[in-house]
Formats: sequence, C-alpha cells, structure tokens
Amino acid sequence: MHCTVPAAARPAATATPETSTRPTGATSAAAATETPWNVVVWDDPVNLMSYVTYVFRSYFGYPEEKARSLMLEVHHHGRSVVASGSLEEAETHTAAMHGFGLWATFEQAGGH
Amino acid sequence: MAQGFRSTRRGITARFEDAEKELLQKLFADVAQALAPEQPASEDSLERMLGVSGDATVPDDSALRRLLPDGSLDPERAAEFRRYTERGLRETKRGVLKQAALALEAEPVRLDPEQAQAFGQALNDVRLVLADRLGIRSEADAERVGRYDDWSAIEDVETYMSLLYNFVSWLQETLMEALLHDLPRG
Repeated sequence: MHCTVPAAARPAATATPETSTRPTGATSAAAATETPWNVVVWDDPVNLMSYVTYVFRSYFGYPEEKARSLMLEVHHHGRSVVASGSLEEAETHTAAMHGFGLWATFEQAGGH
Repeated sequence: MAQGFRSTRRGITARFEDAEKELLQKLFADVAQALAPEQPASEDSLERMLGVSGDATVPDDSALRRLLPDGSLDPERAAEFRRYTERGLRETKRGVLKQAALALEAEPVRLDPEQAQAFGQALNDVRLVLADRLGIRSEADAERVGRYDDWSAIEDVETYMSLLYNFVSWLQETLMEALLHDLPRG
C-alpha cells in the first residue's frame, strides 16, 4: 500500500541498515509481511502525565518504570512507540488509545 | 468545595457540593451530546451489525477531531480505520460519559477500579473539549490557562472556562493519584 508517512515522522530506531539494504523481489515481500506494526502515541499539552502513565500501566500492563519512561519519551520527544505487533493488533491498540483520549497512530516499522 | 478523590479501603471516594456535581454532569452530558453520531446508523444491516459506517468522515469541529482523531498519518489508512472504528468509539465514549454522570448521583461518590477508570476517561474527554475551546495548543497556552484560580474573579466566558478546565484537571489528577496508588506495584 502507498504510504505517505513523512520520513521525519518515522522513528529513528527503525531506520536500520538491515531494512535499507533488504533485497527487492520475493524476499522483501515475505519480509514485509513479518515487519511489525508500531503503535505511536503523540504528545499534547492537555493529557496529564499521571493519566498517560496510568493508561500505559492499566491497558498494556506495563510495569511502573516502563510506563513512566514511555510517558516521558512522549512528553520530551513528541512521540513514542508504545507497542508493536501485527497490523490487527496495532489497529486494536490505536482504537483503545483513542478511547482513552490519547492521540495514537499505527505505522509499519521502517515506514514501509 | 470538593475535596478530590482519595483511595480508601472502601474504594476511591470523593465528596462534592451539589453545584459541583451538577456542573460535572452538565459537562459530561454536553460532550456526550457532541459525540452523538452525525448520521443515522447505516441502512446496510451487516454494516450496522459490525458498527461500521461506510461514510464516516473527519469531523468539521476541531474538538470532535481531537476526540475522534485519525488513526494513521496515511490518509487512505486513516479513512479506512475511521470507517471501521469511529461509530464504536463514539458509542463507547458516550457510555463512559453516562456512567460517570451516574456515579455522581451518590454522596459521597464511591468508585470501584472500573468505575474509576471510566470517570477518568470522562474527565479527560471534557478536558480535551475545554482545551480546544480555550485554544490550548502548547505548554505555554496550558500555563496561561492554568493561572486562573479565583472563582470570585470571573470576567468573561474565557476566565469561566479556564476555571472549569482547572477544576476538572485538578479532579482528574487526584483520581489518577488514587488509581495509580491502587495498582499493583511492578
């Protein structure tokens, strides 16, 4: 599928040499189906830090430290990948975050 | 004046004055009203059963766009995601807002963990709508609004909405502290 995610919006961590040097053809098609989808939560000036931490702990079941560090990453870097999985899982998590009032998007790891 | 939420052996509790409860119920009802589906349920019975809306479009109202945001930066994926999730999201949020309004019927208000989570979500949706109306787009905007704390100095709609926003924010903070306190350590 056509992807319009701007390069600047992609997580730096996914721009690995492995993805950029992947051969084209059948191999890359097979690899594409295995490439996980990321759930990204975006910063906003409204959601309370305590609330975002609570959502990460209660919904994803993350331990206190992990939930807090993800929350701080959202706060300081504007966005954070909070979960990865299949497309279906990423869509489910994205919808759940919207239910909590957090702005989340799903995107394929590596931006493809 | 409300004393805020506290974690007790008998649940998460708070005390409110009647006027505060009425105010919160009004806010919950207003947001629920705004979230009512714009179009009647689909005439396609399968779409209706699945909660899919074939014609779901991005809301014109900026506060609604924040409550029902795009799920992808890719416009095609965002549109498809909206068709499959928006109606359900509207209904879920309306249910949560009604549950929160109902919880305010008791005095003191006493919430189990599930009710407390719903109350927190409802307060958050109210804050998102008020923040949009107040033009809070940055941390500096949030600080500007956060300075209003004197209920005897209401000058206009903006000061009144700022005071409401700060009251709801404070209430949500006390609720989150109580909820986080009650989560298992880990």
